[in-house]
Amino acid sequence: MAGVAQSSESREGNRGANDFSSGEIESFQYNDSICRMFVTATVVWGVLGMLAGLIVATLMVLPRFHPNVLFLLGPWAEYLTFGRLRPLHTNAAIFAFAGNGIFAAVYYSTQRLCKCRMWSDTLGLLHFWGWQLIIVAAAVSLPLGITQGKEYAELEWPIDIAIAIVWLGFFGGNFLMTLIRRRERHMYVSLWFYIATIVTMSVLHIFNNLVVPIGWFKSYSIYAGVQDAFMQWWYGHNAVAFFLTMPFLGLMYYFLPKAAERPVFSYKLSILHFWALVFIYIWAGPHHLHYTALPEWASTLGMLFGLMLWMPSWGGMINGLLTLRGAWDKVSADPVLKFFVVGLTFYGLATLEGPMLSIKSLNALTHYTDWTIAHVHSGALGWNGMMTFGMIYWLLPRLYQTPLWSTKLATWHFWVATIGILVYIVPIYAAGLTQGMMWRAMDDKGNLTYDFIETVQTIVPHWTIRVLGGALFLGGMLMLAFNMFMTWLSRPVTYEQPVYSAPRLLPMPITASVTKPSSLEGKPIHELGFLVEKLSSMDWHRGWERLPVKFTLFTLIAVVAASLFEMIPMFLIRSNVPTIASVKPYTPLELVGRDIFVAEGCYNCHSQMIRPIVSETKRYGDFSKAGESIYDRPFQWGSRRIGPDLAREGGKQSSHWHWQHLENPDKMSPGSTMPHFRHLLTRDLDFDKVTDRVKAAHLLGAPYDRELTEAPDMARRQAEEVAAEIVKRGVPVKRGDTLVLNSQAVALIAYLQRLGVDLTRPAAPTAEGATPADGSAPADATPADATPADATPADATPAATAADDSPAATSQPLAVSSAVTDPESR
Amino acid sequence: MLREVISALDYSACAEIALAIFVIAFVGLVYGTLRLSRSSTERFASIPLSDRVEDPRHDD
Repeated sequence: MAGVAQSSESREGNRGANDFSSGEIESFQYNDSICRMFVTATVVWGVLGMLAGLIVATLMVLPRFHPNVLFLLGPWAEYLTFGRLRPLHTNAAIFAFAGNGIFAAVYYSTQRLCKCRMWSDTLGLLHFWGWQLIIVAAAVSLPLGITQGKEYAELEWPIDIAIAIVWLGFFGGNFLMTLIRRRERHMYVSLWFYIATIVTMSVLHIFNNLVVPIGWFKSYSIYAGVQDAFMQWWYGHNAVAFFLTMPFLGLMYYFLPKAAERPVFSYKLSILHFWALVFIYIWAGPHHLHYTALPEWASTLGMLFGLMLWMPSWGGMINGLLTLRGAWDKVSADPVLKFFVVGLTFYGLATLEGPMLSIKSLNALTHYTDWTIAHVHSGALGWNGMMTFGMIYWLLPRLYQTPLWSTKLATWHFWVATIGILVYIVPIYAAGLTQGMMWRAMDDKGNLTYDFIETVQTIVPHWTIRVLGGALFLGGMLMLAFNMFMTWLSRPVTYEQPVYSAPRLLPMPITASVTKPSSLEGKPIHELGFLVEKLSSMDWHRGWERLPVKFTLFTLIAVVAASLFEMIPMFLIRSNVPTIASVKPYTPLELVGRDIFVAEGCYNCHSQMIRPIVSETKRYGDFSKAGESIYDRPFQWGSRRIGPDLAREGGKQSSHWHWQHLENPDKMSPGSTMPHFRHLLTRDLDFDKVTDRVKAAHLLGAPYDRELTEAPDMARRQAEEVAAEIVKRGVPVKRGDTLVLNSQAVALIAYLQRLGVDLTRPAAPTAEGATPADGSAPADATPADATPADATPADATPAATAADDSPAATSQPLAVSSAVTDPESR
Repeated sequence: MLREVISALDYSACAEIALAIFVIAFVGLVYGTLRLSRSSTERFASIPLSDRVEDPRHDD
């Protein structure tokens, strides 16, 4: 495909004059076997992913029926907690179900749009089996607690490398080579969407997952705190954009016209909204971090571009729906079109709601609530699910070369799924709104009206209805699986292999552009005028549309340039992350405890980010500062509050309280939906592995000194102090074969007691050589009064009378502030 | 040296520059798209509907 931007795409309809495609006629066959494999994988993983979602949803409401029912899970409870299964569900739904659906669409449509077989059958097979192995690896590693702790990017580094190889090497390479070898001069707009998907997801995946490994199953992000949050939501938002939106628009532009037997309503609109999405989407990530410690300028930029997304998104929806003009009679009879119509409608709803949620004031109400969950499922079930189902029902008769087993069952699937979505999202929207309103409700005296636990209990009935909605949607999925199986049973003994023919595409000669005479020819005009006329003819763009490598390159530039404009200031302007002198690195034991926090997926329910909103500072304490999370790899700001925020958890409760809370949450917080974590009480901590974590943190910038050589001893000393407080309150010294001081729970408690206390840390002793008794950082700690102006002093956190079980009544293992938030206000 | 250079750079105009680039690029694309002829767009739009090509179609 060598050549440069060439002649007009027949703007004047001058066929023949520039005909460079009519090479010799070639025969070829499509590879539909790979499409069948991906369709099968889509259905299988769809069933399992949705089943995982149903289990997760059920686990959340089970305690309502009996507070101890989760104990019935016995030894399996450890692997079936919400924190571990939720990432499994999201990864299965996104990368297994939607991912395989995308691949089925790409392999089927690309061959037809390019009039050629996929470039390599072998790469196709490597892609298929490689992707399925990755899914299996995820399904095993996530319940085992092997995770990076970043939403939708949980998988650890060996799996990440495999994803990069399979995605970019096997899939991307095969796709690009197919484009280069195509027999259709113009690259249809679906292919543009596929190109953008492959290129952008590669960039997002690689740069968000840059880590320092300390073993096969553990790594630390090279980014920390604010910058990690920025990178994560640059990735997270654009994963939705370029994995769940762009490829589905691509498949919509191919399969909808096919099913409706009508060309797309407006090809111009498809071009416009493609480029608009590519240019705008990449900027909008920071709107996921409104009112957090992210700099204001980034948040505002994210909001503005988030709002701008509305129009191009609706461009796609309108283009899709109007493609059915004159064919609406078919919709009533054809389940495929039914799925597409509802899919597009949900796309329109979700892409109206998304920009609205990016408005700061509305986001302040909905963020961290279940509203986000309803929004996500409106898009995932309504848009991705329904479009995938429509595509599969259209593909089944063609791939298996036999009529669909039951059109009636497909129609039933449509109605069950549609009702299932509504039964799911309506109560969850209501739950989100309820949560948001209850969290901020205050009485006449300015006190919070509701305890956090009350807000949870209020929405448990909504969660119960959600289980029914999820069950209906899964039921529809099972109907599809059964229909597919029965269709497969009636397939022919051997599939026909139709032979197609099309002319070989010849390279476009460099001189082609000369063939179109300039309208300014012979006129007395400056050369600049000719240049402007040439550029404004847009032949160069027509040329790009024919050149896959250049097109890919320009898409990459559009995405990377937009990203860099946000990233460069974020990483280079020091004022974006003002340091706080009293914020010190975690102690070795706290580092281990933090890893346990991440492995258990606690961030799926607990945020660590107090927004500067009155109701939040009253409930949780002083708002979070950027400088507080500079040692947090990964950041743990979270995106949802099924449980309360933990940013200032340190010192709010005693270590003994935390021990009992891990053993039986409902006992300490009646009405809590948190699962127990008994396994942490009986599992030994490996103190010898502490050093690896300290060294990795040091490598990434944490100013450790003697921790590098004495980490295990320091960790033991701190564990002894935490354990002493727990045992003093009546907990047996030994539980099973595990001493309290050796348990993983002690490390987790040490971490929880550290959260948020640095900001109010009292002045450290300055005597040279003085060492804190807890074995934490040496006494070079700068006094708290050296904190910058934005660090609020201790008195900003309301002190309250210590409850009987509060740390004020016990000896504190850490040099925490005496400021304790009133537990009642939580 | 590099640290000094980077420190001396003013990144405050990044958002404005980015917006300008975005507007210019997007206006250019809108202009180019609107100049497409009806015959071209109709031909492009019909590509998915012509899987089974019997006669070689011409390219312009």
